[in-house]
Amino acid sequence: MSAKVRAWLENVGNAALMGWAIARVLPYPRQYLASALSQAYNMGIRSLPLVLIMAFLGGAVTSQQTGAQFTGGLPLWVIGSVLAASVLTELGPLLTAIVMMARVGAAIAAELASMKVTEQIDALYAMGRDPISFLVVPRVVAGLLVFPPLVILADFTGIAAGWGVGLLAVDGLTSADIIFGMRFYFRPWSLFFSVLKGGVFGLAITFIACYVGLQGTGGAEGVGRTTTTAVVATTLALMVLDVLMAPVLKAF
Amino acid sequence: MIEFKNLKKAFGDNVVLDGVDLLVNEGETLALLGPSGTGKSVLLKHAIGLLEADEGDVVVDGISISSATVEELKGVRRRLGYVFQNAALFDSLTVAENLCLAQDDENLTRGVSGCHQEAVDLLRRVNMPADVLDKMPSELSGGMRKRVGVARAIASQPRYLLWDEPTTGLDPVNADNIDELILELGRELGVTSIVVTHDLDTAFEVGDRIALLYEGRIRALGTPQEMLANTDPIVMRFVRRSSIAAA
Repeated sequence: MSAKVRAWLENVGNAALMGWAIARVLPYPRQYLASALSQAYNMGIRSLPLVLIMAFLGGAVTSQQTGAQFTGGLPLWVIGSVLAASVLTELGPLLTAIVMMARVGAAIAAELASMKVTEQIDALYAMGRDPISFLVVPRVVAGLLVFPPLVILADFTGIAAGWGVGLLAVDGLTSADIIFGMRFYFRPWSLFFSVLKGGVFGLAITFIACYVGLQGTGGAEGVGRTTTTAVVATTLALMVLDVLMAPVLKAF
Repeated sequence: MIEFKNLKKAFGDNVVLDGVDLLVNEGETLALLGPSGTGKSVLLKHAIGLLEADEGDVVVDGISISSATVEELKGVRRRLGYVFQNAALFDSLTVAENLCLAQDDENLTRGVSGCHQEAVDLLRRVNMPADVLDKMPSELSGGMRKRVGVARAIASQPRYLLWDEPTTGLDPVNADNIDELILELGRELGVTSIVVTHDLDTAFEVGDRIALLYEGRIRALGTPQEMLANTDPIVMRFVRRSSIAAA
């Protein structure tokens, strides 16, 4: 077995062990809830402006491009359907995840890697404290807490932006067209799917960032390398999860 | 009592510890000397289970570290205080929070305000004023960080203190202060200490016994006087520089 395959398998095994360690702490919220809420505030409130800006831009692009491509070929109300479908099932969760990966995931990986290389993680062990319950669980729980509301806000902003910009940029498009198109497409499951996807993405981002961060070695260069690894691994994981979750949309 | 039994550890092809046998007696301060990079800190980390031995074992109060359960290891760690080389203070927490985190679970659940007095007492013990409690570690000097690191290590009232290069990077005055602190804590708390250092002055100042780790094994072990009288050329070369200080 090549060294790379062995290293990959080791990582999978260690990540599974970390997952199990997290699961064992979860039934005891007293150990992590206060810290998780503080992390959630930092992750959620501070990321909100950027998430909303990204969602606004995503919605604005969607309605304009749909208008440009479909005008003359399909009825204009299709813009409403495409806008709702794109934002709810893809843009809302994914753009939120990209912002959170860049802003939160990278920060978690860098922070934990820095703690690792400066022996702060060892210090926790030395004090008989468990880094999983002290550092990892609060971050993972915070990710799960903040992602669904962020995605809902991103969905709302993206659709509103697409609606408004569509009215300005697409000739002949009316609010009645948008509303008809959205109602024609909309199923409540789409909204649940959007939130579910956000939760899964949130879990993936914080979990991978924590796992990679705790593997940090070396000095400042090592911290930089770890952060890059976390961002690359998370990007890949998000796209893979996106593909894997697509059939779930059809299931209901 | 801490006993290292035929401890072996390699990182890849680099054999760091090659069968270390060492017994640290109750109540003594053992200074572990050795050139930089010989595995002194690695040895220390085995005592607290931060590293896993390839072969051999460390036994603390009759508990084998290599086969200890999670709970046993946690118990051993609560009996050991570890003073890290660069203090390893949590840089996102204040001094008070650092000290509270090291206390027992009961104190921890009371939060920072609940363990304020304990934190003040700990700082007093390492000769630091209480006004640093609200400072972040980055606002402290190197010597102050070391002292807070010591205060944190003694917060759980350990029976053993493991000092990893306590005077490295300090100016002579601060290094003397830390030496004094090691002696003071030994006297007042009656703790057993292992002091890993390559600072000969510190080793001869604080050590009841001195061990020389060389090429992965204990090359020599004895009282400061015995080490000075040792005729092994490696030991002589190592301790000669300290003879004036010891005198």
